[in-house]
Amino acid sequence: MLEVKDLHVSVEGKKILKGLSLTINAGEVHAIMGPNGAGKSTLSNVIAGRDGYEITSGTITYKGDDLLEMSPEERAWAGVFLAFQYPVEIPGVNNTYLLKAGVNAKRKHQGLEELDAFDFMKTVKEKAKLVELDPSFLSRSVNEGFSGGEKKRNEIFQMAVLDPALALLDETDSGLDIDALRIVAGGVNKLRSKDKAIVMITHYQRLLDYIEPDFVHVLADGVIQKTGDKSLAVALEEHGYDWVKENK
Amino acid sequence: MSVLAQTRQDALNLFEKLGLPTQRDEDWKYTDASRLKDLLQPTPTDANIHIKDMGITGLDAYRMVFINGLFAEAESNLPEGVSILSLAELEKNSVGEDAEGIAKLFTVDTQAPLLNGFNAFNAAKASDGAVIILADNAILTKPLYILHISNQSNVVRHSFMIGKHAEAQVIEHFISTDDTKALSNTCSFVALKAEARLEHTRIQQEGSKQSHVARVQVKQCKGSSYQFHGVEIGGILSRTDLVVNLHGEGASCDLNGLFVLGGRQHVDHHTRIDHKAPHCTSRELYRTVLDGRSHGVFNGKVMVHEDAIKTDSNMSNGNILLSKHAEIDTKPELEIYNDDVKCAHGATIGQLDDKQLFYLRSRGISAETAQELLTFAFADEVLVAMSNQTVRSYVEKAAFAKLPHSDDLEEMLGS
Ligand SMILES: Nc1ncnc2c1ncn2[C@@H]1O[C@H](COP(=O)(O)OP(=O)(O)OP(=O)(O)O)[C@@H](O)[C@H]1O
Ligand SMILES: [Mg+2]
Repeated sequence: MLEVKDLHVSVEGKKILKGLSLTINAGEVHAIMGPNGAGKSTLSNVIAGRDGYEITSGTITYKGDDLLEMSPEERAWAGVFLAFQYPVEIPGVNNTYLLKAGVNAKRKHQGLEELDAFDFMKTVKEKAKLVELDPSFLSRSVNEGFSGGEKKRNEIFQMAVLDPALALLDETDSGLDIDALRIVAGGVNKLRSKDKAIVMITHYQRLLDYIEPDFVHVLADGVIQKTGDKSLAVALEEHGYDWVKENK
Repeated sequence: MSVLAQTRQDALNLFEKLGLPTQRDEDWKYTDASRLKDLLQPTPTDANIHIKDMGITGLDAYRMVFINGLFAEAESNLPEGVSILSLAELEKNSVGEDAEGIAKLFTVDTQAPLLNGFNAFNAAKASDGAVIILADNAILTKPLYILHISNQSNVVRHSFMIGKHAEAQVIEHFISTDDTKALSNTCSFVALKAEARLEHTRIQQEGSKQSHVARVQVKQCKGSSYQFHGVEIGGILSRTDLVVNLHGEGASCDLNGLFVLGGRQHVDHHTRIDHKAPHCTSRELYRTVLDGRSHGVFNGKVMVHEDAIKTDSNMSNGNILLSKHAEIDTKPELEIYNDDVKCAHGATIGQLDDKQLFYLRSRGISAETAQELLTFAFADEVLVAMSNQTVRSYVEKAAFAKLPHSDDLEEMLGS
């Protein structure tokens, strides 16, 4: 589904990713761990299409297409979704409208009719329930005045409504209380299927107890240093990142 | 000569002394008033205007219509038991003691900030206006909608006197029937007694060649509250001087301004707030969205006087330029003469926020729509404070219709 090959990315002249490669197949769940500033968000932003990053070499292929040639909205239509580490507040833009516009833009792109208002609201209410998002959030401005945890929950809610093929969750677990973590993880698990893939960026092994990954990668110094299964996360918790670098 | 005639003659003399402002005048640096010289004289004819269905439809309000500056009683609908009068009518019937009171409505306060020749001319030549006298404790149960329709130069002069603990909502709306080159010269004087409340909206939506010069002068007694919404979407040249005197302890004002301009429109608001008493609050939020070759000017001055301890003042002005030929000149000014105050002010000029744009696009919204959405949202924030939802959605539709792709507005905009 997603193939990142020898990706080199700089920000303002500073090299962040230095030849990173990663293959993600449909049906898989990947976890990416790594020290602060390693480039995890950089990777997810580049996949989602944020500008301001200089891609000096390498390729990203998504479902056979050159992802780097696509605009952020085209990527969204093709099924890429990023749950942001720091979701931005957008005063004045209605949360539900945003989703409706997003869903319909995607449908239009796929040659489908727009969802009618009733069906759309039904989906929205269903998904809000799934992540136990208070319905009052639906009519509020996007993320405005939301607490840190509410913003994260809203990201997962949006994911559930937009129904992506490839979901990148950038530290969605940070800032969530224990109950919220369980709820959000439940929401993510419901989305798992053989034609979807999930990439979770996290600092905590705890998340992986709820959402069991097929692969755990350690990103440090701009490349994937080590790939393993869930036990790698446990080992990391115990030994820290230096241990990874020493035991490549 | 009667007191009244004398007062108006004095105003004319003052006008002749002051003349029209020039761009050498610091307060008129960006706005060329000389263009308006030939349009000054009012031509108050009713010009066969059919006013049916004009203005904001579906508004549950009392109604006062002025056609080319003259009160059109037949088109109006005023409440019983509240003094809402025509200035011309008052003037005509004024005798004896009354005359002095009425003369006061034409007196020019030469010490008032931002006073200019247009204002003196207004006092000399006003053909009519609304005079609202709301008694103590009275509450105007519906808003008063003052609709100004013109296709000629006109001069109107309103006075809103709101008694102690009284409350009112006034909406002034300015529209034209065609694209005649003309000038509306308007003044609104507001006096708020102790604990009085007024929500005052002005919507300038005149024809594409019409110019507009306005003065809004507010004096607030103890604990009173004044809320202003100024919307500029029409006309070619429009200037407003908004002058608020926080005269009594604990008074508060909340001034909101929105310009949505395109083409060669030029809009200039000068606002001046004088904090003269302790514990007063002032809030000011002005936003502009400028397209084409339009030019916006915002000058907001807050003066905190020596006795005005515990002043709380906040001013913010945000501007978005949609075209590289659009221009904004903004100057928030703060002058403080005591130490015990909390004041903040700032202005931003800019493009839209990159992070917000990316967020929307990552959810599948096209770059173009995302830009519009953020522009609408930016402008709409000024309108949030408007309490009348019919007026607000009218303004949203009218303002945003000027921008491309403005369908789906109502759901687009958050609460
Ligand atoms: N716009 C930018 N300008 C300058 N430096 C940047 C910019 N964006 C990212 N960086 C730098 O790139 C490096 C990688 O940042 P990134 O956000 O990808 O790290 P991360 O792995 O997600 O870290 P964390 O675990 O703290 O979220 C950091 O050193 C960061 O300071
Ligand atoms: Mg990060």
